[in-house]
Amino acid sequence: MDFLTFFDNDFKILMPELYLFTATLILLSYGVLYSTSRMLDYPIIQLNVGWLSIFSLTITLFLYLGTPVTTMSAFNDMLIIDSFSSFMKILIVISSIVCCLMSLTYLENKKVNSFEYFILILLATIGMLCLVSTNDLLGLYMSIELMSLSFYILAAYKRNSEFSGEAGLKYFILGAFSSGLLLFGMSLIYGFTGLTNFEELSKLLTCINAMSDSVSYNGILVGLLFVTVSLLFKVAAAPFHMWSPDVYEGAPTPVTAFFSIVPKMAIFALLIRIFYSTFYDFLGFWQPIFLYTGILSMIVGSLGALYQKKIKRLMAYSGIANVGYMLIGLAAGTVESMSGLVLYLLIYVVMTTGFFSFILGTITEKDSKLNIYISDLDNLGKVNPALAFAVTFIIFSMVGLPPFAGFFGKFYLFLAAMQSELYTAAIIGVLSSVVAAFYYIRIIKLMFFGTSPIYTTYKPMDTANALVLSASVFFLIFFFAYPHPFLMCIHKASLSLML
Amino acid sequence: MFDSSILLSLIGLPLFGIILLFFIPDNNPDLQKNVGLSTSLLTFLLSILLWLKFDMSTPKYQFVEKFFSVPYSNMHIYLGVDGISLFFVLLTTFLIPICLLASWDSIKVYIREYSIAFLFLEAVLICVFTVLDVLFFYIFFEAVLIPMFLIIGIWGSRERKIRAAYQFFVYTLVGSVLMLLAIMYIYYTTGTTDIQVLQTITFDYNTQLVLWLAFFASLAVKVPMVPSHIWLPEAHSEAPTAGSVILAGVLLKMGGYGFLRFSIPMFPDASIYFTPLVYTLSVIAVIYTSLTTLRQVDMKRIIAYSSVAHMGFVTIGMFTLNIQGIEGSMLLMLSHGVVSSALFLCVGVVYDRHKTRIIKYYSGLTVKMPLFSIVFLFFILANMGFPGTSSFVSEFLVLVGAFKSNVFVTTLATTGVIWGAGYSIWLYNRVAFGNIRTSHITSFQDLDRREAMVFLPCIILVLLMGVYPEIFLNAMHVSITHLVEQVQ
Repeated sequence: MDFLTFFDNDFKILMPELYLFTATLILLSYGVLYSTSRMLDYPIIQLNVGWLSIFSLTITLFLYLGTPVTTMSAFNDMLIIDSFSSFMKILIVISSIVCCLMSLTYLENKKVNSFEYFILILLATIGMLCLVSTNDLLGLYMSIELMSLSFYILAAYKRNSEFSGEAGLKYFILGAFSSGLLLFGMSLIYGFTGLTNFEELSKLLTCINAMSDSVSYNGILVGLLFVTVSLLFKVAAAPFHMWSPDVYEGAPTPVTAFFSIVPKMAIFALLIRIFYSTFYDFLGFWQPIFLYTGILSMIVGSLGALYQKKIKRLMAYSGIANVGYMLIGLAAGTVESMSGLVLYLLIYVVMTTGFFSFILGTITEKDSKLNIYISDLDNLGKVNPALAFAVTFIIFSMVGLPPFAGFFGKFYLFLAAMQSELYTAAIIGVLSSVVAAFYYIRIIKLMFFGTSPIYTTYKPMDTANALVLSASVFFLIFFFAYPHPFLMCIHKASLSLML
Repeated sequence: MFDSSILLSLIGLPLFGIILLFFIPDNNPDLQKNVGLSTSLLTFLLSILLWLKFDMSTPKYQFVEKFFSVPYSNMHIYLGVDGISLFFVLLTTFLIPICLLASWDSIKVYIREYSIAFLFLEAVLICVFTVLDVLFFYIFFEAVLIPMFLIIGIWGSRERKIRAAYQFFVYTLVGSVLMLLAIMYIYYTTGTTDIQVLQTITFDYNTQLVLWLAFFASLAVKVPMVPSHIWLPEAHSEAPTAGSVILAGVLLKMGGYGFLRFSIPMFPDASIYFTPLVYTLSVIAVIYTSLTTLRQVDMKRIIAYSSVAHMGFVTIGMFTLNIQGIEGSMLLMLSHGVVSSALFLCVGVVYDRHKTRIIKYYSGLTVKMPLFSIVFLFFILANMGFPGTSSFVSEFLVLVGAFKSNVFVTTLATTGVIWGAGYSIWLYNRVAFGNIRTSHITSFQDLDRREAMVFLPCIILVLLMGVYPEIFLNAMHVSITHLVEQVQ
């Protein structure tokens, strides 16, 4: 096949990713050339590259918003673009823009003067965008590696902090281990079926349950188990969650924000594509895996966070609990559960974004530090009441209290679980969310109920963080009144995948 | 003019008041308090209009209007009142202005946020009692937790308020999430959450039992029934005066409303099956809490425990499943709403002056605070079930209804009247009669005009309900008859 056939269809289909990739390369060369230029006295172009990368992500977003609403496949069926992947890609790009916005002030204050931070975020975003639309096992591996390698370096970004280096090392070792498991599982699947393409695998495996007497498919199941475990590692589900609190605590805060927000979306989109479209016939096999992992994650996440004293570790455990809820939604195996899962992902992303923008925006006036311990937040209600009320709304949404958006996410998810008769999981889920309520309202107690005599004053919040925080609080409060556009998009996305 | 959308206006007025309050600066606290109070008084007048226009001859829902529609799921949420919810709405709009007036001088920090919290609470409570949809009932049921948690935690008295706020929040949340699962089950098996449709659907027997238990888990915490009543004394005694008033007055009635609206009509066989359970827990509540009161030293805690005892009577009345019992329990809920709130206000009067609620510091208040003692005596007698007050009428109806259903339970519950008299009179004796004790408190001041205005409507209401309850029972008759017929 001629190289030029690339320009028939694939180029147009992949325009947004290609644009982002080219922009990344151009920004990289721009950064290298200018920051090492002796003539200009080695300028610090970090914020410059930051705003330029936000700009290129915005253009990518507009390119995605202009995608035609059909299903297309590129590179000989290796990448697939349908409504589901477009929707998830738009969400990922928006979250990346928001994470870049949140990190600008941090990088300026901490004098982390290297511009490669934004290049790495762009590369990770490209990896995640390819991950969401991959249709092939090899594409899956390549995208995950591109994403993960950028993450490993980002976790270790603060070079003068041993904490950060330790976090990066832990993440690298665990991530490499899980990638190894992934490769092993994929090679087993390839070995037993001879196919790597998801669509062809789904055609091969149709009605495999009916043929269970004549066809032995245990090899595929073992391969699938390895792939599942590896993806659960990457998303920090219990019992594979051990790396998450340490890495979240050690990495610099905007990187933690990026970790909690964006990769979960990408990997869950991938999980939905693999298990709802390709291996759906093995439902009896993978449903118990996700069910038990989900229940364990919910319990570990809720109970583990009760003793935490540091904010980032608390967010790590709360992320584990939220992943538990999402896994229950994944386990249910119906269209409604998939819509519920995507809705919950959306709301989780908004809540976490709001919370992290709050953390990144509150800088103490005395020594320009961020809050590390939960008890640093006391008396915020008296010092900065508007900020405290905004955080209260985010926290009540995380508890899952109506009428905030978090309740609706949990409602749809547990509704889908009950419809698939996963009653135990639903009961454990709601009870663990009550346990989780305990440590969330502790934050409200610290802010408002005036138990401590220490008052810390904060500098005024910078524009980017304030905008992100207010946008997320606005969404969480008023989602209840006007959910139509989001529900419509999610419905369309789910139906395009299942049908 | 307000005819077609009176319920939406009832919900919208407090919200409008909240928006107004946001614009009033902090250097004008009087204006803030005035705006809050006037909004709540306007809402009260509007709800009187609702009562006047109410048609008492039909059990159907009236003033039905569409709240909003959820896309893609065929859920249209309606608001409506019938004989049962009408009085709860009236109770809410009656108590909120009293709460705001009672906290005029005692709240000194965050005045605007206090009024906002109470107006928000009022809007959500009216939504709870008028929305005709199970899921949205749950949403507003839970949403009540948010302002109450903040009210108890921020403006409560110092000592144990945080523990009280936590207990209130977590206890209610645990029960409610089980109710959520039951609602989800109902939604996906019947395809609707509209009450008017659900009351025509019958579930099969075993499903009814499980669903009834799930609803019971939540409503039993809210009512409260023994053994999940532990949050009540804590929350009541640590909340500010107005917080206790609204907690005792309206929030406990949400549980009773839940029983009347959901458990009994939707799961009639299960209600009949579980009646012995409810009777046992209620009788234990009546006797145990009345006896526990005798050991308490904190005045508010005594009144809180007596609330549990009265709600025990209410649940006995509701599960007699005959007209007298249910009418008695409805009237008892209304009467208890006014009487308990007024008792908390009395304690609030003393607390505002001397900053302590412990009985040992007070004695012989009649000498220096005669007006207060008269009012206090009136409400203590009302609490006891003295003939001429509303409690007597309602407790009598409850006992008549219970007698038809189970004589033994009635006997035990009637002894509750004796225990009630015991602790009420003893409380009053220790506090108001006897020699005046000046070792701890040296200056006394009787009720001022604002506090008298707070008590006056409560006194009038209690006497009215006691002497001529037909005014109130009139509107309830048809709805309750309809309810009883549904069970048969």
